[in-house]
Amino acid sequence: MVKLTMIARVTDGLPLAEGLDDGREVKDVELYKQQVKALFKNLANRPNDPSRMSVETGPYVFHYIIEGRVCYLTMCDRAYPKKLAFQYLEDLKNEFERVNGPQIETAARPYAFIKFDTFIQRTKKLYQDTHTQRNIAKLNDELYEVHQIMTRNVQEVLGVGEKLDQVSEMSSRLTSESRIYADKARDLNRQALIRKWAPVAIVFGVVFLLFWVKTKIW
Amino acid sequence: MGTENPGRPSFPASPFAAAPPTITPFSNSGHVGGSEASNLRPTRPSFPPNTLPPITAGPAGSGEPPAFRPAPPTRFNDPSLPAPPSSYGPPASGTFNRFPTPPFGSMPPGPPARAPLVGQPPFQPPPSQVSPPPPFRPQGQIPAVPMGSPPPGVNTPQIDSPFPASRPNFQPSFPPTASGYPATGASSQPTLPGYVKQSNAPFQAPQGPPVQSPFQATPVGYAPSAPTPTPHYLSQQGGLAQAPPVASPYGLHSRDQIQHPGTMPPMGSMQGLIEDFSSLSIGSVPGSIDPGVDSKALPRPLDGDVEPNSLPEGYSVNCNARYLRLTTNAIPNSQSLVSRWHLPLGAVVCPLAEAPEGEEVSVLNFVSTGIIRCRRCRTYVNPFITFTDSGRKWRCNICALLNDVPGDYFAHLDATGRRVDLDQRPELTKGSVEFVAPTEYMVRPPMPPLYFFLIDVSISAVRSGMIEVVAKTIKSCLDDLPGYPRTQIGFITYDSTVHFYNMKSSLTQPQMMVVTDLEDIFIPLPDDLLVNLSESRTVVDAFLDSLPTMFQDNLNMESAFGPALKAAFMVMSQLGGKLLIFQNTMPSLGVGRLKLRGDDPRAYGTDKEHSLRVPEDPFYKQMAADFTKYQIGVNVYAFSDKYSDLASIGTLAKYTGGQVYYYPSFQAANHSEKLSHELTRDLTRETAWEAVMRIRCGKGIRFTSYHGNFMLRSTDLVALPAVDCDKAYAMQLSLEETLLTNQTVYFQVALLYTASCGERRIRVHTAAAPVVSDLGEMYRQADNGAIVSLLSRLAIEKTMSSKLEDARSNVHLRIVKALREYRNLYAVQHRLGGRLIYPESLKFLPLYGLALCKSTPLRGGYADVPLDERCAAGFTMMALPVKSLLKLLYPSLIQLDDYLLKPSANADEFRKVMKRLPLTADSLDSRGLYVYDDGLQLVLWFGRMLSPDIAMNLLGPDAAAELSRVTLVERETEMSRKLMLLLKKLRESDPSYYQLCHLVRQGEQPREGFMVLTKLVEDQTGGTNGYVDWLVQLHRQVQQNA
Repeated sequence: MVKLTMIARVTDGLPLAEGLDDGREVKDVELYKQQVKALFKNLANRPNDPSRMSVETGPYVFHYIIEGRVCYLTMCDRAYPKKLAFQYLEDLKNEFERVNGPQIETAARPYAFIKFDTFIQRTKKLYQDTHTQRNIAKLNDELYEVHQIMTRNVQEVLGVGEKLDQVSEMSSRLTSESRIYADKARDLNRQALIRKWAPVAIVFGVVFLLFWVKTKIW
Repeated sequence: MGTENPGRPSFPASPFAAAPPTITPFSNSGHVGGSEASNLRPTRPSFPPNTLPPITAGPAGSGEPPAFRPAPPTRFNDPSLPAPPSSYGPPASGTFNRFPTPPFGSMPPGPPARAPLVGQPPFQPPPSQVSPPPPFRPQGQIPAVPMGSPPPGVNTPQIDSPFPASRPNFQPSFPPTASGYPATGASSQPTLPGYVKQSNAPFQAPQGPPVQSPFQATPVGYAPSAPTPTPHYLSQQGGLAQAPPVASPYGLHSRDQIQHPGTMPPMGSMQGLIEDFSSLSIGSVPGSIDPGVDSKALPRPLDGDVEPNSLPEGYSVNCNARYLRLTTNAIPNSQSLVSRWHLPLGAVVCPLAEAPEGEEVSVLNFVSTGIIRCRRCRTYVNPFITFTDSGRKWRCNICALLNDVPGDYFAHLDATGRRVDLDQRPELTKGSVEFVAPTEYMVRPPMPPLYFFLIDVSISAVRSGMIEVVAKTIKSCLDDLPGYPRTQIGFITYDSTVHFYNMKSSLTQPQMMVVTDLEDIFIPLPDDLLVNLSESRTVVDAFLDSLPTMFQDNLNMESAFGPALKAAFMVMSQLGGKLLIFQNTMPSLGVGRLKLRGDDPRAYGTDKEHSLRVPEDPFYKQMAADFTKYQIGVNVYAFSDKYSDLASIGTLAKYTGGQVYYYPSFQAANHSEKLSHELTRDLTRETAWEAVMRIRCGKGIRFTSYHGNFMLRSTDLVALPAVDCDKAYAMQLSLEETLLTNQTVYFQVALLYTASCGERRIRVHTAAAPVVSDLGEMYRQADNGAIVSLLSRLAIEKTMSSKLEDARSNVHLRIVKALREYRNLYAVQHRLGGRLIYPESLKFLPLYGLALCKSTPLRGGYADVPLDERCAAGFTMMALPVKSLLKLLYPSLIQLDDYLLKPSANADEFRKVMKRLPLTADSLDSRGLYVYDDGLQLVLWFGRMLSPDIAMNLLGPDAAAELSRVTLVERETEMSRKLMLLLKKLRESDPSYYQLCHLVRQGEQPREGFMVLTKLVEDQTGGTNGYVDWLVQLHRQVQQNA
């Protein structure tokens, strides 16, 4: 059963449309929405990812397809047939491209195509029940081959970005720490120098002082 | 004086200083042009006592001059002084020219002539002589001092002086004038002496007084010059000081002065002050009902609300006053100043006010760069920020923090420090802009506009015909609901059970589901109770068509309002939206049932009185809180003919930013038009959804309390599930620091909302106001409308926690305190002793205060207004924008018969017709036809002696019938068409409500009573004050503790 539907632009992760009153029965719906948003943000960084993918998260699965720089994503129960989910996304894609195709690139504000939610709503209802004649027919249709679609875990997907982040963070930490090391080394050097010569200087100083005092008094 | 003195150095002496004020009074009186007055004043003192000859001339002149008033007589300690002159003169300079020639010729006859004119005068002198001496004495002395000084040479100048005609300033003119008029002067002299003598003798009385009265009436000051010299002269002779001229404080009404000469203290004011304040003389004997007060001259807001436009230079980029109005456009700089400003200090905000064509707020898209805001205080970019560091940084105008300019937003500064791209940046040039909100401003995708209807179908609702009107109206609006194609719609009806309707688009007829379990209400269907209108249109149409007939035989008298409300909440909670409740029967079943706690007359006047006006059952407030949380705004339409505890039910609207519409004793035949217009407006006006509003202000001040219909989400975040152009919010501010150091403070209202088209936007209004250290400046910049609006909200809130009487006296007290403070500011130094003075900006405040005390929520006690009506009016007034509120408080009254009788009607004439009359029974002529318009209803008042022709033309054969049963319809006559056109115009001028037109004939009681007579706020009705009494009372209290 479809729980969430979101459509976003791949290039900048800008949300374009979202299903109406999505996630009514989902606990922690905000958490999943966050994950979806993080996923969208990652898409731009990974242009080589396959255009269709399933991502497991908790008791649900995100299915998404990327087409024409737009990502169509839906969240379903794990038990929901993958085939139907992708059928659903295909339907959305076709309609979305038909209606809003030319304006996708120029959309400048979030949810610029929020009006699409009525269509999402309508289509969603068609796919709600897996036992309808229509859906069974689709399931049996061999035209759509979904077996080779990769399934990964959400941590993994989001993790890719995270790891990259970690590396860059580590390297930047390395630079800054090496700079600190250099500073400290210079500092230590100076201290060693002082420690070495200070006693000598003091002794000389005292001697000269005594001389000076002596010449003054006597 | 200084100016004149040039001639004689000697005079400048201190004594005069005292004198000037006295003279000034003229300016106050208003008769005189302010500027001229000042000039005059100096002359008088300057004259040396020696100047006899001129004086003589003077008297003659004086005869003409208006001036004599009681004062002169008073002075009479010395018989010698005919002197009245002092009073005269100040008046118009222009007149002087004229003066010389005619006066002299006329002179001799003059005195006698005058006397006859003035009927009243004769008695004056005697009283004045007797009583006045003591008060005037001191002043009289003053002149004595100067006397010594006058050099002999002075004489010539003096002579001249009378004729200074050419210039306003007398002094310089003397030499020349003298030459010009020597002859005349000479001639006049002879007559004068005689006159003088007479005056000294018993005759004085008759002569002096007569002169006065006529002149006062004539505003034009006759040559002041003539009179002025006289005083000196007198003083010499008598040895008395000149009488200080008593300024006519009472400028407004000459009658007053005459009547109470004895009591009046001398008053003076400086011209300059005229700009500062206005004053009004009120019964000189405080407290007495003074017939002398000319009620016609009292200030009245007959032009409606005038927005303050006196903003100083540099504030031109402020947002328009229709969005944000401060109670005073000068912010006090210290706590002590705040405490002396007894009126509310704050703002009234109407964030979505309708803008006229061409002035719409421009929408800017900052999604790519992100909206520029201050890092610390989150202020939005606005015209008052300053760019520094060659455009790389900007300084926040509110918290003064230096922020970086984002790279995308960078622009170079030109030589004057302005950005080169300024003209392409509306956010830097306009006080009001709208930003498209980026994703960070959304917790969810923009919601679709959603309308949910909760309709009472119990027997009384059916009988009143309400259901039919509602169904028809909704159906007619379906095409105009905002937000196509996303708009969602749903219905629940209820009596003793709750009925749900499945409107799935695939159905042809809606399916009704009845839930009888009121204790544990549930939703029978997960989807399709709330449907997309465009998809389910046919089902919705079918439902609305069948709704009236579905229940026409319903005999159910119960109302399970509470459970139905909960059900509606469950259906809507996913999306939010607008819930419209049509309620006809008091809730009697299930949770939230209400008791007939009733309109208990015994509760009035006790401490429990207010509890009738607050919700009894916490259920409603709790529900309201939940509604707000889930972005649901509630509008309540109440129709009951019996008590239905609107205080409780209205709470739903109050805390969700909604509105209460009340149609007492609704009958479809009479009220359907009003209901359908208002419902249409409610459904189709542009609405902002799931909104929050915050107002920010500069360092050192803070908004502390908010007043209106909404719920506060945090200390300063106003949650408004659904808001539109007809709602305004008020807030009060206070100083956080004891002393403000900045020169200017800024206010920024930001409303984050979802437009019906699905765009999330931020509307930002920014305004600046100077900080002042002078209370007078605060008064000068005061905004009457905003003050009245805040005062009324405070008063209505007060009725929720105490007695009506307390709320009224609170209003009264604040006005008194404010006027007293103002008085302390000016009266002492300018000796405005007996007059009520008030700032020009607040001249209508007393009247509005009176109107407020007589408004529906505050008026009278138990019997005066039904409780429900009182509560409904309270809810309404808490939301009204300033303009509508002022109109409601002081409605317009327009005379129509002349207009209707005139053959042609063009646009120009319309404006003439719309002349508002004072709201008093005196304005109603029994031969006329009047329309009364308070923004909520119209009343056509037919005078008893109105020509039957008009009545026939307008009402046809119904003209003779009792008007309560007659409805006004357009007839086939020219007159009727004109009337309807005019009413249409009146309605168009205020579209937020539909003004149903009631007809009343003079003397038709009791309808006339409650429809018109009680609304005439200036009249004394049922134990309340009339305008004049109110002013007298205010005045007395102002003086008491001054």
